[in-house]
Amino acid sequence: MALSTHTTTTGFLLPSIHSAPPFFTQQPHPSSLSIATEQWIQIILKYSRHRRLFTIRVEDSETTGHDWDEVLRNERINRKVLPSYLSYILAQMVSQKLAAYEPPKQDRSVLIYWRLPEEWAEVLHEWVSSTGHLNTIMTFYEITDPPIESPLSGLPIPLLRQAITILSKTNRAQIIAIADGEGVRFFPSTGKA
Amino acid sequence: MALQRYTKSVDGTIPIQALMYNDEELISTQDGIGIYDGLQKSLDHQSGIVHVTSQRLFYIDATKKASRSFSLALSHVSRTDYYAGLFSSSPKVTLHLSIEDPASEEPSGFGSWECEVCAYRNPPGLSPSAARVCALCGVPRSLPAKSASSASSEVPQPNIDSSFPTSASTSALPQRFRKPSSISCPACTFLNHPYMQTCEICSTPLPKASGDHTYIEAKSAPTTRPTTPGLNDNDIGSKMLKLSFRKGGDKVFYTALKRSLKGRAWEITPSNAGTNGARSGISGIMQAVETNAQNRDTDMSNALQDLEALMVKAKDMVRLAAELNERLTASSTTTANDPYSSVLSSTPTEPEEATFIRSSLSQLGLQMENTPVTLDMMKDEREWMEQLARELASILQGSEKVSSSSSSGGMMKKRGIIALDEVWGGWNRARGVALIPPSTFLEVIPHLPAFTNPTITSRTLNSGLAVLHTPPYSRAAFAARICGLLALAGPKSTTEIAQEEDITIGLTVEMLIIVEEDGDVCRDDGQSVIQEKKGDILVLGEVNWWANLFIGYTWDGQE
Repeated sequence: MALSTHTTTTGFLLPSIHSAPPFFTQQPHPSSLSIATEQWIQIILKYSRHRRLFTIRVEDSETTGHDWDEVLRNERINRKVLPSYLSYILAQMVSQKLAAYEPPKQDRSVLIYWRLPEEWAEVLHEWVSSTGHLNTIMTFYEITDPPIESPLSGLPIPLLRQAITILSKTNRAQIIAIADGEGVRFFPSTGKA
Repeated sequence: MALQRYTKSVDGTIPIQALMYNDEELISTQDGIGIYDGLQKSLDHQSGIVHVTSQRLFYIDATKKASRSFSLALSHVSRTDYYAGLFSSSPKVTLHLSIEDPASEEPSGFGSWECEVCAYRNPPGLSPSAARVCALCGVPRSLPAKSASSASSEVPQPNIDSSFPTSASTSALPQRFRKPSSISCPACTFLNHPYMQTCEICSTPLPKASGDHTYIEAKSAPTTRPTTPGLNDNDIGSKMLKLSFRKGGDKVFYTALKRSLKGRAWEITPSNAGTNGARSGISGIMQAVETNAQNRDTDMSNALQDLEALMVKAKDMVRLAAELNERLTASSTTTANDPYSSVLSSTPTEPEEATFIRSSLSQLGLQMENTPVTLDMMKDEREWMEQLARELASILQGSEKVSSSSSSGGMMKKRGIIALDEVWGGWNRARGVALIPPSTFLEVIPHLPAFTNPTITSRTLNSGLAVLHTPPYSRAAFAARICGLLALAGPKSTTEIAQEEDITIGLTVEMLIIVEEDGDVCRDDGQSVIQEKKGDILVLGEVNWWANLFIGYTWDGQE
């Protein structure tokens, strides 16, 4: 009966509650439900940070062979999360601003904020200044897919756009229309420096 | 001879009431009667019962009811004579029968038929006169037309040709066999059925149709008939029957017979014959339907009155039994208290009688200790409720007396929880006839804890199902027990818990949901099982119940 933690093949340490079958059922009792949902959100956030995953979809609970297998299913106790429950968990994440529906106006897939957009903005600005790209115009592609692996590699464009918007509010970035789409120019942080 | 010609044999084993037509009335009955056929004793009919009805005279033979009984239509009787009897000769009544050949009468009076105007199916069992017209629309039955056509089939064409001059037959034939045509109303030109006397639309009197005339002719003059009565015209004996009253009762019977003959019920077409003109047609049908409904109403209310009267009588009987019982108890106590009487009189027989009476009372369902408590036995409403509660308690838990004598205890002897509907049904079954309405039952429930040990209380589950339960099944006790069970034995499925608790699965689910509401357990839904095929069968688990493992859980996964 003793529940134990489990390390997945990708090296992620799952909490012990993930081995309890009731964890995979949407509990009718409100306080049990809120505790269980809180734990699920923790797992999803930590796992997405571990794997650098940015999206999760309700369909992921119905199919196999994707990035979320290890979390949404537990073959050892023969349990999986039902789509209805996952949908509820995602809705909770969105309401807690830990995720956003992406694309907007639907509720089947979300963009996970394992770093909040504000945090991403800081990371972005730090990376730009450390690589000496201040005052130059960069394309989105140059940021999300640089030749050298960076903290921003693979960042989804909507999230990047949010980060840039946050920076532009403090006059540290400016979106510029260029020939083949959009570019961005960063400025040194005036407030601090 | 007269017997053969005028009477019809009936099956005397059938009760007389069933032999009569619906509109016939039994007037008098006399037994010990012998029959004279003409002037001779009829040897086969020497002892029997004779019934006079408004339409007929029945002779039911005493020995061979089935074969020797007969009926005689009073319409054949033209005159009666009474002979008071002398010395050994019994009183006799002579019935002089009319010449008219009875064989031509009486179409099939029994057997249902359909009116060809309104398609109403007339019920069987009406007297011949009543059966002549449709009971619903009052239009005469078209039977004679049938008899005419049957006559035509019986009598071959050549025969007529030979017996009549050809000219006459040609003129007669088309007239005789022509179908009666509809009558056009002189006022509104509506084509009425030939049997209508007034127009169905505007009630204008209709002219007689020519077809009508031919049909009468066809009826009254079949070719073969006239010779038959003529054969024994001079034979007086062939036209009379005598009833010999071997056991008296002749005078009463004769007056009844006279009255019946005077009434001439066979000539009166159904009771509403007086209004026959107005009755036919659509308004007539409506009227008939209305009267039918009214009659049914009165019949029904009469029947219900009878039932009420019976219930009143039953109440009296219960009261009587109660009194008797009290008196018995009183007498037995006095005899027991009085040492002299117990010594002096040979009392052993008395208690025996008393117990006999008591036991027969109980066999009648009137045993006093067990009589259901009824409202009128209690003066006070509160007391009535409490008495009911006491009675219910004894049914649920078994009274001391009952449980000691018989093996069957109360309904909740072995069960700690029981649905309310089952209790209500069981209680009413135990009460027998004095049933408790649900409203009263619900009023009794709150009084129950006072009369039960262990206390039985009621409780309504989430689905609205109300139950009665003993303390172990109260909300807290049950939750504690389930938690203990799960902590000890690990997770359990609903079925396992139901088995453990020995209650139904449905009830278990209800109870567990309440425990879950308290946050003491959590569920593991079988739907979350990764669907696996074992063999060819898709395995779906049921709900398993776990002690609540979320409360107090802290994160122990990856930081």
